[in-house]
Amino acid sequence: MTAAPDHPADERPPLSERLGVRLRLVGTALFAGVVVTAVSVVAATMLSDPTASVETAFALGSLVFGFGLLGWSGAVALGRGIESMQETLDTQTGWTEPDARRAMARIIGFGLGVMLGAMVVGSVVLGLV
Amino acid sequence: MISSRFVLKRLLLLVPVLVGVASLVFSILHLSPGDPALTIAGERASEEFVKQVEESLGLNDPIWVQYGRFIADAAQFQFGESFIIQRNTTVREVLVNKLPVTLELAIYGQLIGVFLGIPLGILSAVKQDSITDHLTRIGALAGISVPIFWSGPLLILLFAQVLGVLPTSGRISVLYNVEAIRVTGLVTVDTLIAGEWDMFVSAVRHMILPASVIGVYSMALISRMMRSSMLEVIRQDYIRTARAKGQGAKITVLKHGFRNAMIPVITVIGIQFGGLLGGAVLTETVFAIGGIGTLLVEAIKVGDYPIVQGTVLTFAFLFTLVNLGVDITYSILDPRIEQ
Repeated sequence: MTAAPDHPADERPPLSERLGVRLRLVGTALFAGVVVTAVSVVAATMLSDPTASVETAFALGSLVFGFGLLGWSGAVALGRGIESMQETLDTQTGWTEPDARRAMARIIGFGLGVMLGAMVVGSVVLGLV
Repeated sequence: MISSRFVLKRLLLLVPVLVGVASLVFSILHLSPGDPALTIAGERASEEFVKQVEESLGLNDPIWVQYGRFIADAAQFQFGESFIIQRNTTVREVLVNKLPVTLELAIYGQLIGVFLGIPLGILSAVKQDSITDHLTRIGALAGISVPIFWSGPLLILLFAQVLGVLPTSGRISVLYNVEAIRVTGLVTVDTLIAGEWDMFVSAVRHMILPASVIGVYSMALISRMMRSSMLEVIRQDYIRTARAKGQGAKITVLKHGFRNAMIPVITVIGIQFGGLLGGAVLTETVFAIGGIGTLLVEAIKVGDYPIVQGTVLTFAFLFTLVNLGVDITYSILDPRIEQ
């Protein structure tokens, strides 16, 4: 079930543009993850043990990252099959493989952002190295 | 012919899947309550000793260092040593000992499921709404509905206690030392390789009940799937054309229908195999077979993290490998899938 290209070969945008779109997709989610984690970890350290807050944030980030990776792989491996099944069964839900991949890429980015945020706050701000 | 590009792409997909599973395992173990150092040291251990254990396990390092080390070790299939269940034994050794037990059970269970389920499904479809069809469907529904923890003891009661024809537990008679002839870890195969006929018969007799218990469940799903898939295929125009041209019913069904009807069934077989690996826990418990499923449950109960990590990743790896096999089989059955 090799994924068919989203655009015919001659209509595909150049590589740099495609890379840019992908980087923006993951990058914005990553940035959001870093900001959310930094704010929440700093707030949590005021109420509880700083090391525990950083460790919990990192573990939650890796949970999101792992979930995203599994979802992305699932979309790549089975996406076209699921689309065909929807067509065959005439149950169009609007779910598409490229949309699923994009959504999962955002989740991966957010998870990585949370992990990175916990790392930065832990090592730079709290000196947990 | 399968294209190498297709297989390579599928193999590359294994990497994110395994990294994803490793991340999930790492995070769940870190978010769950309990301190592994305290578990190893014991409740009465001094604080100093607990700190020493933490130091030796690297639990004092920042969590991202632990994560990086875990992913790097997992990539080499290194999970360190078991804390509690088998102290001073590497997880790899524990898995090498236990995995064949579960694999053997799952393989025989799956073989029973496939070799009974597929013919029954075809028969049921070809003879739709006949007595055979009704009986097969009732059997399949019963197979799906009856839980293993109920059917297992019942079969033990009937075949071991009442009739006394099959053994109740274990993998082979206690009279035989199967470790002395260990090659693959699969007792039925090892005894055959060693040419020990009596041992082989004993191993097969011990395997019949547990494999049947999980095989019946698998058979029920496969036969249901095969029936509906075959019913859909035999109504297609090309089947009618083949019959109109004078081809016999049997040849039409087996040559033209079977191949196309198998595609959704292969999916079920692939998913089932993963389910059998995980579901073998119940069968292993009922028949006192110490496999990887029982090991995982025990490791979770006592907090033996390296064993939990190694076992879950092994399950994930096997499951993805089976699905790779399923994808390759798809492309053999219907080469259009590769396009």
